[in-house]
Amino acid sequence: MQARTLAAALATMLLAAGCTTTGAGSAPQEGADGPAELLFWNTGSDEQAAAMQAAADRYRELHPDVTIKVQAIAWDDGHAKVLTAATSRSGPDIISGGLSWGIEFGELGGMIDLNRYDVSQARQQTRPELWNSITSPGGAVYGIPMDMTLYVFYYRPDLLQKAGVSTPPATWAELFTAVDKLKASGVPTPLVEEWGTFEWLPWFNYLKQAGGSLYSDDCTQVTINSEQAVLATTTWADQYRRYGVPKATVDVGAGLAKGEYAMAIGASYLAGGFDSGQPALKGKWQTAPLPTGPAGAGSFVGGKIVGAMSYTKYPQAAADFVKWLYTDEAVEILQREVFTRGGELYISPRPELLAKANASDNLKQTLQTTLDSVTGPPNCKGWETSGAEVSKRLQAVVNDDADPRTVLAEAAAVMQGNLG
Amino acid sequence: MTAVLIDKPPTARPAPAGKRARWRRAVPGYVMLLPFAGLFVGFLVWPLLNALYFAFTDFNGVRPPSWVGLENFGRLWFEDQRFRTALVNSVIYVACTVTLTTAAALALALAFRGTSWRDRVMRTIFFLPSVTSTIAVMLIWRWIFSGERFGLANTVLARFGADPVSWLSTPRWTIPLLVLMAVWGGCGYGMVIFVSGLNAIPEELYEAGRLDGANAWQQFRYLTLPQLKPVTTYVVITGLIGAFQVFEAVYIVFRAVSSVGGVQDSGLMLVPYLYDMGFTKFQLGYASAIAWTLFLIIFVISMIQLRVTRALREL
Repeated sequence: MQARTLAAALATMLLAAGCTTTGAGSAPQEGADGPAELLFWNTGSDEQAAAMQAAADRYRELHPDVTIKVQAIAWDDGHAKVLTAATSRSGPDIISGGLSWGIEFGELGGMIDLNRYDVSQARQQTRPELWNSITSPGGAVYGIPMDMTLYVFYYRPDLLQKAGVSTPPATWAELFTAVDKLKASGVPTPLVEEWGTFEWLPWFNYLKQAGGSLYSDDCTQVTINSEQAVLATTTWADQYRRYGVPKATVDVGAGLAKGEYAMAIGASYLAGGFDSGQPALKGKWQTAPLPTGPAGAGSFVGGKIVGAMSYTKYPQAAADFVKWLYTDEAVEILQREVFTRGGELYISPRPELLAKANASDNLKQTLQTTLDSVTGPPNCKGWETSGAEVSKRLQAVVNDDADPRTVLAEAAAVMQGNLG
Repeated sequence: MTAVLIDKPPTARPAPAGKRARWRRAVPGYVMLLPFAGLFVGFLVWPLLNALYFAFTDFNGVRPPSWVGLENFGRLWFEDQRFRTALVNSVIYVACTVTLTTAAALALALAFRGTSWRDRVMRTIFFLPSVTSTIAVMLIWRWIFSGERFGLANTVLARFGADPVSWLSTPRWTIPLLVLMAVWGGCGYGMVIFVSGLNAIPEELYEAGRLDGANAWQQFRYLTLPQLKPVTTYVVITGLIGAFQVFEAVYIVFRAVSSVGGVQDSGLMLVPYLYDMGFTKFQLGYASAIAWTLFLIIFVISMIQLRVTRALREL
């Protein structure tokens, strides 16, 4: 009996031991050329991960002792997964994710400051607005931009012409005049918003076009409660209240194909799926930069960062691969593979390589023009916490007819509190 | 000598040899329980105690937690406007959901309590939502209440010439839609419990009632309802716990229009708020305080419910 009891206890202990994870407890191994086995969590689709794996395989040809396995994680739960990995100090060596993730996880101690591995080359090649967004207030760079997402104005030239609009609207006034004309011509929903539809992102475009900002350049003052912001908020709210822009996310491609929508303000990633997802739309859509406001052009730039987790056993190899993604060769592979595998457009953080992207001349021209006036997300302390709060106050202007000045003052108070 | 043995009290301590034998017989049972006990302690008790500890710290998930005492609870109960919004939303949602679900479940049970094919089929149909994938169901609800013209609700409205409604981005619709989803998904489960309760009521009681001249309503009011009290208590308490823990409906359905909580926090509930603070804003210590507050709320309400039920029974 005692033997059986002992055996059962041993079995239980073995079972428990088998359930435990192996953390990265051993000392970091320096050396860019390995040997190293890196796990890369690429936030996005399986096709994007496969494209990144193709790039990683090429990297292995150049560095035979460094193996990189790329896994896709979904946007929906990627944030929580990376947090869990950072908390447990086990999981991937490299991650990609939202532009703000680097500062978020880096400030928590979950990611390596890549300044230690000399990212000056990448800094020089990236647009300053984008680089500023991924640099923490203290100067740390926990992840460097991996790709860019830009706002694009999509439209159906045939529907615009039928409504008596000969060119895509270039200003706010022209935009809303076009909405009225399209409505009169029978288009049920002339304009739709996509990418952060009823949140702060589309409003941010209006803010830039009105000449406003969220914070002062040095992040010491909140500037959201300016007259420019009031104008931006009123105009943004009017697009929902007066011009019938849907407040929920819509299927832009399907709507444009059916002729239910004639114009859409959306992310650049949409462009890749139009022809493949909506064959009826092929040859019927065009793009233009967003309409300008009283202060001129301006829009938000997003994208992904790529960086190394702080617990990785191979920080040097991970950082070296991250930097390699900026090379001409890596960008060329990603442009080709992302398009081949998913029909999507890969926009490198190196703007001079945009000309080689798999896109129509019209779209490339639009992106090139847009790049001249983009602004990334603020890197000021507390913005991550404040963003949703700002959205909810802005929504009150549309839903409750709240006074823009009042809601912006409330938003400023929240942001100032989080700024410290 | 024999008389002494017979007079020995039955509760006397067994001989040491007997105790050892009983212990030997019990040991394999305890050993076989060990895997479950290990999992229970490792995945339930330990996380619960850990969360209680974190509730008194400023733990952000990565850096070691530091003790802040009651600061999280003070901020939560006296300063946090979003928590108040989440609490009020939750209380309204729970009250509406539990009441309507219980009433609908009882009505369905009374309608389909029999053993005929029709009753069995109807019970199966109403029970289906309880065994259907929650994610799939929520995505269907999202499609039904899509603000676009192809959304089912808007398609029906269009038949009557009405303009499409932005169901999910209009704050006044948020709680009613959440309640509708919950009642639709929960009344089948409650119905099954009520059917078993109804079939356990002795038929003699109804015969006696009929002999005394009780009509159908009086039989329901004075026989069925009192006899169903334990079952009703079970349905209400389990429904209440489930309603306070609502997450998927808020997170999936309203994701199309806003971040956690729906437009203007109109659908913010306690668990989605907990998730938002813990996994979006990395305030795991604060999220733990929310979790333990939620536990206390459910515990107190359940105790009150049990107490009231017992008091009614004693009347």
